Amino acid sequence: MLSLLLLIPLLGAIGLGLWPGNPEPAAIRRAAIALLVVQLLASLRVLLAFDPEVGGMQLQEGLSWLSSLGLEYRLGIDGLSLPLVLVNAALCLVAAIASRDVQARPRLYFSLLLVISGAVNGAFLAENLLLFFLFYELELIPLWLLISVWGGANRAYAATKFLIFTAVSGVLILGAFLGLAFATGSVDFSLTPVAAGQLSMGSQLVLLVALLIGFGIKIPLFPFHTWLPDAHTEASTPVSVLLAGVLLKLGTYGLLRFCMGLFPEAWAQLAPGLAIWAAISVLFGSLAAIAQRDMKRMVAYSSVGHMGYVLLAAAAATPVSLLGAVFQMVSHGLISALLFLLVGAVYRCTGTRDLEVLRGLLNPERGLPLTGSLMIVGVMASAGLPGMAGFISEFLVFRGSISVFPLATLLSMVGSGLTAVYFLLLVNRAFFGRLAITPRDPMGSPLDIRLPAIQLLDQGPSLALALSVVLIGLWPASLGTIAEAATTGMALLPQLVAAIPAGGVG
Amino acid sequence: MPLVSDLPLPLPLQTVWLIPLYGFSGMVLSLPWATGWIKRNGPRPAAYLNLLVTLLAVVHGSLVIREVLQLGPQHLTFPWFQADDLRLEIGFDLSLTNLAALELVTFMSLVCQVFGLGYLDKEWSLARFYGLVGFFEGAMSGVVLSSSLFMSYFLLEMLTLSTYLLVGFWYAQPLVVTAARDAFLTKRVGDVLLLMGVVALSAWAGSMEFNDLYAWSAQANLPPLAANLLGLGLIAGPMGKCAQFPMHLWLDEAMEGPNPASILRNSVVVTCGAVVLLKLMPLLQAAPLATTVLLAVGAISAVGGALVAIAQVDLKRAFSYSTTSYLGLVFIAIALQQPGIALLMLFAHGLAKALLFMSVGSIIATTNCQDLTELGGLGGRMPATTLAYLVGGAGLVGLLPLGCFWCYGLIVEAIRPAAPLLAGVFILTNLLTALNLTRVFRSVFLGAPTPKTRRAPEVNWLMATPMVSLSVIVLLLPWIMQRLDPVPGINSFSLPAALAVAGSGAAGVAAGTLVHLDQFWSRSRQKTVRLVQDLLAFDFYTPAIYRATIVAFVAALANFASWFDRAVVNGLVNGIGRASLISAEGLKLGVSGQMQTYVLTAVVAIVLLLSAMQWWFS
Repeated sequence: MLSLLLLIPLLGAIGLGLWPGNPEPAAIRRAAIALLVVQLLASLRVLLAFDPEVGGMQLQEGLSWLSSLGLEYRLGIDGLSLPLVLVNAALCLVAAIASRDVQARPRLYFSLLLVISGAVNGAFLAENLLLFFLFYELELIPLWLLISVWGGANRAYAATKFLIFTAVSGVLILGAFLGLAFATGSVDFSLTPVAAGQLSMGSQLVLLVALLIGFGIKIPLFPFHTWLPDAHTEASTPVSVLLAGVLLKLGTYGLLRFCMGLFPEAWAQLAPGLAIWAAISVLFGSLAAIAQRDMKRMVAYSSVGHMGYVLLAAAAATPVSLLGAVFQMVSHGLISALLFLLVGAVYRCTGTRDLEVLRGLLNPERGLPLTGSLMIVGVMASAGLPGMAGFISEFLVFRGSISVFPLATLLSMVGSGLTAVYFLLLVNRAFFGRLAITPRDPMGSPLDIRLPAIQLLDQGPSLALALSVVLIGLWPASLGTIAEAATTGMALLPQLVAAIPAGGVG
Repeated sequence: MPLVSDLPLPLPLQTVWLIPLYGFSGMVLSLPWATGWIKRNGPRPAAYLNLLVTLLAVVHGSLVIREVLQLGPQHLTFPWFQADDLRLEIGFDLSLTNLAALELVTFMSLVCQVFGLGYLDKEWSLARFYGLVGFFEGAMSGVVLSSSLFMSYFLLEMLTLSTYLLVGFWYAQPLVVTAARDAFLTKRVGDVLLLMGVVALSAWAGSMEFNDLYAWSAQANLPPLAANLLGLGLIAGPMGKCAQFPMHLWLDEAMEGPNPASILRNSVVVTCGAVVLLKLMPLLQAAPLATTVLLAVGAISAVGGALVAIAQVDLKRAFSYSTTSYLGLVFIAIALQQPGIALLMLFAHGLAKALLFMSVGSIIATTNCQDLTELGGLGGRMPATTLAYLVGGAGLVGLLPLGCFWCYGLIVEAIRPAAPLLAGVFILTNLLTALNLTRVFRSVFLGAPTPKTRRAPEVNWLMATPMVSLSVIVLLLPWIMQRLDPVPGINSFSLPAALAVAGSGAAGVAAGTLVHLDQFWSRSRQKTVRLVQDLLAFDFYTPAIYRATIVAFVAALANFASWFDRAVVNGLVNGIGRASLISAEGLKLGVSGQMQTYVLTAVVAIVLLLSAMQWWFS
């Protein structure tokens, strides 16, 4: 059942790539959408088959592949990966629907999109470290191409930066995995936590730090975040949706699954430092976002801030905070995807994302009223207003972390307050006021403008995302029941590992 | 799930969770018109639907009151979300005080919506306004009924959001944009501090129900520092909501919004904030610092707000500062452990202030003017409005035996022995408020008609009916207060206290009658007077102080972070990239193509390597 989630997009990508003749871009887009709908249905089937009571891996399947190397094809799913798989399926579909403007090389574009979707699914489902790494690297090249072929004016710089950063991240992760194999002397690349008896704490810390930096680049955390704003600014709207909504989650997923899951004891040792790191990341991302003029850069920096909450929650490692981490991953995925879609819609209609230039877009007949209203929903959700997904996520994170790391949690809450500052600036500048696009040049400016109305159908993905954000906010138990068993299990990991007698793990 | 009785509860009680939903459903019902899906025949149906659901809320609330009078207070909880040791519930505390507050909220919402039909007659986005008011009302009725701190916080934040959207209703005007921003951010500061308190309490006490929290705080032994910080965090939220110094400037700017929303904001929204503070008060026992801050903030707000109000030339702002002032009095009463009097005061102030704002709304709707210096002579022309102003003003001031007179008497009597200075604050605020009301009355209703008031007919019946009905209610208020009676006898105060209150009211009216009003020189020519006048007119320069301190600080930090990001972090990355490129370019030039060079390099390298290994292992 889980293999279907890999086969549908990957085989679909090959199929689209081999589409004969000179097909219409719209036809390929429809085919890709159909494939992604099938993938979404397959993911929903997994959801139905999933038993939320079980904490460990479920629906496991495997094939022996290169056993001498330790590379096994083993898939499994638990409450941590299932929500992310669902988000991946939904957002890839959204990205395909939003790719209406792609005219150049549609075959390549949509097959790359499908490859990303399959690779991300693979990374979330892999139960073998090397298999995870393969999928982690597999997602990198298509995204690089998507930025560097279909990106904005400065795309070469942004794409190369993205490639180098993420490649370094991959090298560090692979190095840590191989180092673990060398240090323990076995090529068992399964997801088994390492106990102190097997490996000295010093080596554990070295490997953990390598992993942390590797995933910290991907998440991204300050000071490794500098590739993200550039990549977002140059990427097209659907690629930004994927990048923010899905690919960043690989980093946080890795943080929870591998950093915490493999080295629970070393993790507990580093946790106070990590909490401070999280608070710095949150504050830096939020403060840097305030100073941005480009709407897309602002949303990108908000990601840096909001991903810091996940690190904070992971550092605290209480059942509630880990559940909050899952909530935060899902809600950030949905909210930032929504924001990027809306910024993309503004950019398409007005040709600019500059907050010094845009004014009054909420104008009812001549502006973008629905986009503006959804933007208000999106920014309020991101700022953690109750009734939407952002609030319950942040509340769980803070509630779970405050008794462990009071100072870092309070600082992160200040960051949450700063989110309101920059997003309110965004709404106030771009959407409130009198409709105008270029007040900087009063002589040649068309103050009396009429923007093209956006079809309701085109707003479909944004509406669906906004609704799901509100749904999770009002009914958090829907997500909570899926994830809770897994996160509670993870919170108990350090005690379990400490209870194992030295050297007793087979 | 009833906790008290085993018998199935009557239907109105079982379905009490519907009451907040009426308001929220009004918002959803307005959507087809607000988004422009239905454009034929105008947006009125949305308003009618909202009126209908609000009427349902009022009727349902009254039914609940009837049942509660028979069965006694009830407490209902519904589970909402649960994870590990975290248990979040939707709880309704159906006590008589909460239900009275609920009736105040829903009834005022109904009255304002009728009033709004007349006031916003030609407004093209009427449906959006009614949708937002529905949202507003839903959140408020939830706040007053809530029995859990979490739910109160949840709904208070929703109030922040709907205030932002209502203040920003006419978002195309530049002043509205800044007003909406300030309203959101000021309240948000309070809310984030409150959230810190809520999160900490949730982690320490476990449950979020107020009753469990009271039990916990009675036996919890927090270190004094933690207890004080917790108390300060908890009071920050209500301080922002009730527009207390130093978070008061949003309420004044919020007067840029439509008047029917201002009626709600000045009467019931601030009441919601104070009701939450009342519920939090037992948790502040261990936090003497928080109580002191409450008293200081209340006193400064009371006197400062009343002073600033006197210097305003804008009709709405003259009374919005007075709201800050009265809520300051309520804060003092709450901090001095007089919850009953605080509730009475909220009740009396809410109704009287709403009436005053209705009268102001009528004036603005008729004259299209809210500048005091351009108004005059309306007294004979708009009898219902004049009556409403007089009744509202009398209800607010402690002079005639209407609502606030009894509250003033009670509180002065109650706190005079322990805190004579604070009793003086009450007397002074009463005097200043009476002065302000009299001065405004003279400018607006007396004197010669001005160009703007020469042709000023009375408002239409949609506005006049709610205004006159509310006038009657304010006149009957003492009788209602006696029925509610949270303190034993609303007239249980001594003659000296009554005389002090009435005397200060009379002195205020006299001062207001004597004070020099000049339409052309409303800013005085005498230097000292002008200095004081400017200080008050510009609200002690609070906006400027904020701009120079906190706003400038955050902006500087943000610019620094952005610069650091570009210059240091990104610069380092680009530097590494450039260095590797340059070194590669340099190496490229070093390639000679001579075989001998390559062999020599290789030999030297091997020798160095071998000797290094020799040295390492020996």
